[in-house]
Amino acid sequence: MRRILAQTRKELIQILRDRLALALVLVLPVCILLLLGSSIALTVSHLPIIVQDFDDSSISRELVDVFRASTSLYVTSWPTDRQPQDAFMTNKARAALIIPEHFGRDVLRKQSSPVQFLVDGSDSNTASLVAGYATAIVNAYNAIHSGATSPQPVQAQIRLWYNPGLSSKKYSGPGVFVLAMSMFAPLLASLAMAKEGEKKTILQVYVSSISAHEFLLGKILAFTLVGLAECVPLLVLLHFYFGLSFVGDPSSFFVATVLYSFCVAAFGIMVGAAIPSRVAAMQMVALGGFLLVFLLSGLIFPIDNIPIQIRWISNLVWGKHYIYVVRDAFLQGGGWPSTWLEVLIIGFTGLVFYTLAWRTMRRMQVKA
Amino acid sequence: MSVPATYPADPVPSPEATGSAIRTSRLLKRYGAIEAVRGLDLDIVRGEIFGLIGPDGAGKTSTFQILAGVMEATSGTVEVFGKPAREARSQTGYLTQTFSLYPDLSVAENIRYIGDLRRVAPAEIAERGLRYLKMFDMDRFADRLAGRLSGGMKQKLALVCALVPEPKVLLLDEPTTGVDPVSRREFWDALAHLAADGLTIMVATPYLDEAERCHRVALMHLGEIHQTGTPAELRAGLHAKRLELRTTELAKAEQLLTQDAGDGREILDVQRFGDRLDLLTVDPENTTKYVEEKLKSPQLQISEIQTREPTLENTFVATLRSLGQEIRPEPFPGRYDHTDLRGQIAIGATQLTKRFGAFEAVKHVNIQIRYGEVYGLLGANGAGKTTTIKMLCGLLAPTTGEIQLAGETGSLRSQSVRQHIGYMSQKFSLYDDLSIEENLNFFAGVYGVPESERERKRNWALSFSGLEGKEKQLTGSLPGGWKQRVALGAAIMHEPSILFLDEPTSGVDPLARRAFWNIINRLADLGTAILVTTHYLEEAEQCNRLGFMVAGELVTEGTPSEIKNRQEGHLIEFVVDQPQGAADLLKQTLERWRVSLFGDRLHVVTDESAQAGIQSTTTQLAKHGIQVLGAREERFSLEDVFIGVVEKARQQGKVASED
Repeated sequence: MRRILAQTRKELIQILRDRLALALVLVLPVCILLLLGSSIALTVSHLPIIVQDFDDSSISRELVDVFRASTSLYVTSWPTDRQPQDAFMTNKARAALIIPEHFGRDVLRKQSSPVQFLVDGSDSNTASLVAGYATAIVNAYNAIHSGATSPQPVQAQIRLWYNPGLSSKKYSGPGVFVLAMSMFAPLLASLAMAKEGEKKTILQVYVSSISAHEFLLGKILAFTLVGLAECVPLLVLLHFYFGLSFVGDPSSFFVATVLYSFCVAAFGIMVGAAIPSRVAAMQMVALGGFLLVFLLSGLIFPIDNIPIQIRWISNLVWGKHYIYVVRDAFLQGGGWPSTWLEVLIIGFTGLVFYTLAWRTMRRMQVKA
Repeated sequence: MSVPATYPADPVPSPEATGSAIRTSRLLKRYGAIEAVRGLDLDIVRGEIFGLIGPDGAGKTSTFQILAGVMEATSGTVEVFGKPAREARSQTGYLTQTFSLYPDLSVAENIRYIGDLRRVAPAEIAERGLRYLKMFDMDRFADRLAGRLSGGMKQKLALVCALVPEPKVLLLDEPTTGVDPVSRREFWDALAHLAADGLTIMVATPYLDEAERCHRVALMHLGEIHQTGTPAELRAGLHAKRLELRTTELAKAEQLLTQDAGDGREILDVQRFGDRLDLLTVDPENTTKYVEEKLKSPQLQISEIQTREPTLENTFVATLRSLGQEIRPEPFPGRYDHTDLRGQIAIGATQLTKRFGAFEAVKHVNIQIRYGEVYGLLGANGAGKTTTIKMLCGLLAPTTGEIQLAGETGSLRSQSVRQHIGYMSQKFSLYDDLSIEENLNFFAGVYGVPESERERKRNWALSFSGLEGKEKQLTGSLPGGWKQRVALGAAIMHEPSILFLDEPTSGVDPLARRAFWNIINRLADLGTAILVTTHYLEEAEQCNRLGFMVAGELVTEGTPSEIKNRQEGHLIEFVVDQPQGAADLLKQTLERWRVSLFGDRLHVVTDESAQAGIQSTTTQLAKHGIQVLGAREERFSLEDVFIGVVEKARQQGKVASED
């Protein structure tokens, strides 16, 4: 036990003395949370579209006004003698509403009156959003004009739970929090570990007959503490800036956070032990800590969008389970009954990383 | 450390009396197809300082790692105090070749960490740590970050850390590489002291003056031990004498005598020093006549020939040569001859001063180095050598003072000046992640070596490094000494007329060092001006002129002989029955630097006449029951002189400060 603590103390002294590392742990995560948390928005607003009104009647202008009323879209008129595709090519618009001649007349005659809606499909995500808005706006317009004359057979009454305002911040805040927790502590851990191999200081450790368990536990404990320290300013920020607070019993969140810090610290140590080169170890952590968590954990891109053939991979990404716990703690408040499995999986993944690290280090000898 | 109550009667403890500390039998280590250690049999006695010497890549580091229990042998057995090496780790202290402590921890924190790992009780760690820090005069620096210590202090800290668990065996792998002479001597004094207390010490070193301070020495080559014995035995085993020849035209004499030197000839070996040639011969009398005859026809003036005992280096070189290890590089394919410049000033500095804030790193230094001259700048760590070199080659602007470089006084960094300059430093040399060939190509390109010559130059650099056929190997995978050879090759491919070499031979083995100095002398013969720094005063003797720097000042300048003759006082070598006891006793009344232990011999510097010095010391020792078995006056080595100069400067208050 004493040797474990000696190891931990040494690591902590080294981190505290390294200003860059401290900034990495305490400042950068906060910056990332602010930056990514506020910039990631899955809705669009003020998306530029153009209108070509060949009819130019009061009825057609009414339709355009309905479009103008939407905050999601920003409508400008486009001269009828220019091709709408010019607007796409010069990035002036992402969609075009084209109202044909005699539109007003057809509406008054209660005939079906088609308008054309062209969407720039090069950004498929935005395109489908715009198309959705357009459909919704047209539907609303139809409802006004047909009035109560033809009641709709089914009407869905939608209520949004947990995030009633559908605020992007409340969705992306916890995600970016997990991202920050998955990056910096393991990065430092892998650098510290790889450095021992690079600078040959590991030889002093080998010659001292400290066991691999003591050595690894000491190091992992230090970086678990680093992860927990990192988590404090982030939680404060989540509360005051993102307006998130615990709903329900937060104890499963706290247990998961300790286990997750352990898990990512063990991941970093494992990488550093397996790759005794700081540059390579850093890239490995960037891949595991950042890319996997960013892309495959449901942080931003819904897991349901991942092709079914590789969706199982996301179950192996440790960040996915933690995100589930964090969103539960801040949004749903399900507590232990809905998160116990995830908490177990996080702890188990940590043990797997620890075991792998131990397997590379267990001989505590120079590899030859 | 307390003075032990009893001293071993026999300076080399015998195995019967005290038992083996380390015993290996048919030790073998294989890396893939390469056998690094091939059937090593060692028997190291308790309380012995055992030196392991050998060229780069001889398998020394592998041996140390196995003995320290941090690497498994392929086959064979290792016993440390009767236990397998791995189980004996609690009794082993190991200093690795590179500094293996944490630069971002303070001195005290490093000690605490290593002590904790070794399960030393916290109170003990504090007590022993302080005791050893005091012993090495480092207790003031307990709170300093280890990374901010000088090279010598780092090694002493590593030694303190290794000693805190009170090991019975110390394994030291080239502990003094990059350490200045003063610190080196203190380091070895400490080792002698520890050995006298019963600690067994095994030490690898590329420096044969250090090997002289061991009780026994083994010569290792290609994974095998070739000779083992006391330094005296090894020297005697050579069955040869050394002639020191002083003549006016060294280069010519060397050329003439080297022509017919070799095994079985009249002259076995010729080595050139700054102001003399060393000739190795079986029959000194006949050879003296032979040399006189030989040099008569070209009318070379012989000023002196003296017969002396061979050095360990002679033995080492002779043995390795018989094993076919000598590098015989092709002659340097130089196109340019700078001889027309000879005699002109290449590097000149007047009243050179550099201040960093309130700290004066270099104070009013005047240096003039002419073309064709090899100038050695010597000084302890922190004396201002590197700062001076940086200013002289234009990398750093002086605070005040004038510099003249290659005839230029204004812009020292101009293209034309740089083309004439070569620079090699121990710190910046080559790119580890490029192959040797790629490195050479890169430097040839950077220095603008003409396309047509590149191939020849590159081949020469490879043959000089002894790396022909290995040019595709990654530079990072080479042992330190080999890297230095490639680096020197790279630095001179463009045939500079002025060459700056900052500790070029740090960590380079004796044989390769000879090749280094051969090429340095060749370049000087071609008219190149060379400024070189080194911590090894034996090789400093190969310079034409030397300058000693202490605390930013140039305190002494002259040829090696002039400097040695200028030294006041006398050096007396005593053989006594209790060497460590005698050393401890004398240090109570004399200043520390005046007393040094070399294996079983005691060196004492006295300001009285030699006779009076022997008399008074003998009486003093006799009073404490220590018997003097023999005493005679010895010539000062350059290192003795250097340490004397530094210590005297220190007494005058010019503290070469580490603070």
